[in-house]
Amino acid sequence: MATRKKLSRRDRRDERAIRDREPTHRRGVGAVLALALAAVLGVTVWHLPREHASLSVVAREAMTVAIPKWHILEPVNEVVYGTRGFDTFGETFLLLAAVIGIGLIVRSKEPRDEFLGEELAAAREQHAEVTRAANAGTEQVARSAEAAEQGQRRGPPTPDEEGLGAPWPERSDAMTVIVRGAVRLLAPLLAICGCYLVAWGYSPGGGFPGGAVIVGVVLLAYVSLGHRRVVRVIRPGLVELLEMIGALLIIVVELGGFVFKGSFSANFLPLSQLATIPSGGILQAFSGSEFIEVATGLTLAIFGLLGMAHDWANEEETQKSNKPIRSSPSRRGRATQQ
Amino acid sequence: MIVVNYLAAVSLFSMGLYAVLTKRNLLKIVMGLSLMESSTYLFLLSLAYRARSTAPVLLNPPHGESASALARGDVADPVLQNFCLTAIVIGVAVTGVFLAVAVRLVQHYRTLDADKVRELRG
Repeated sequence: MATRKKLSRRDRRDERAIRDREPTHRRGVGAVLALALAAVLGVTVWHLPREHASLSVVAREAMTVAIPKWHILEPVNEVVYGTRGFDTFGETFLLLAAVIGIGLIVRSKEPRDEFLGEELAAAREQHAEVTRAANAGTEQVARSAEAAEQGQRRGPPTPDEEGLGAPWPERSDAMTVIVRGAVRLLAPLLAICGCYLVAWGYSPGGGFPGGAVIVGVVLLAYVSLGHRRVVRVIRPGLVELLEMIGALLIIVVELGGFVFKGSFSANFLPLSQLATIPSGGILQAFSGSEFIEVATGLTLAIFGLLGMAHDWANEEETQKSNKPIRSSPSRRGRATQQ
Repeated sequence: MIVVNYLAAVSLFSMGLYAVLTKRNLLKIVMGLSLMESSTYLFLLSLAYRARSTAPVLLNPPHGESASALARGDVADPVLQNFCLTAIVIGVAVTGVFLAVAVRLVQHYRTLDADKVRELRG
């Protein structure tokens, strides 16, 4: 009797453990495959050249041609935009393809602007929908009036219009006035740093890190000031246009070599004195265009992800599962009980 | 001893692969792919390292050397650093696409479990 009781308790414990365990998929097979790959790669890297090996021919070439051929003091930039310029060209358009892919995936349902005859065909359903929406509207008005009676005031439309020491907490879409003030002060400085990295690209810097800095500035503004006020400046129409201009500039710079020098991505601009801003010929032009491309591309990708609307799901299912989220906390509890 | 870095990169890559193969949570799969990407950054930069060398920058060379002497001397490999730069940008873009797909899948199927996202089959 006692043993049976103990067993059943253990069974229950096992059952709970199984239920709480994170769902996984063929862990044994995965472990064997991962370990096998680790073994193969481990043997491979063991025989790779180590820190005492001499530089590869390509690297030596990049180091020696940087000054005489390109008038640039930064071999990494010389490799990125000069020697392996074609590869960077391809990479740029891979980035562009990824950004367009994200834009396609995150886009919301678009309103159709041409006549499709739907209005005539679905007039009856439309009427029912309008009536339903109107009813829902009155319900919403009633609910907000009820909330106002209970003293749940809403703050002013933007957090900046809110007086210090206001009785209600600051709106959660922006951070406190200290953070906002600091970001207002720092964001221009950081943006200048990003541009400096690109313009003085003959020393470590260049388009990719500069663009990443600009994306950081945009994200700082987003986090501190809130989505609503940043999207007013970072409009998709404007940023997409800038990105296309960057891509076009890159094509022009790379094709210029083909037109004027007979080879793709060859230098066709005059090389000015060492250690000056225009010293790298097309390198600096390419780097600047890449700066625009990376900054706008990553901004578009991030804002596309952040602004992903609740969309595309099955209509009835959306309404069903949206109900508990939209209603007040007490109602949510009731909905879960049902 | 740079081979320790190589082996660390290999183990990070395998851990990422294990996560991708066995996890069913879509976000954890994306994290596994991110881990695999990061291991390649570590690997490329370790491969670029040279003992007793300096950065491949010809501006203000150290120890009173001239820039052209530094170009013939021992520096870290600039080509592999370029590969790493390329890999980082591509990694960010690809992770963005994965996350966008993951969010759409969650909105559509109401689950992060990759095994339950099966309506495309058959």
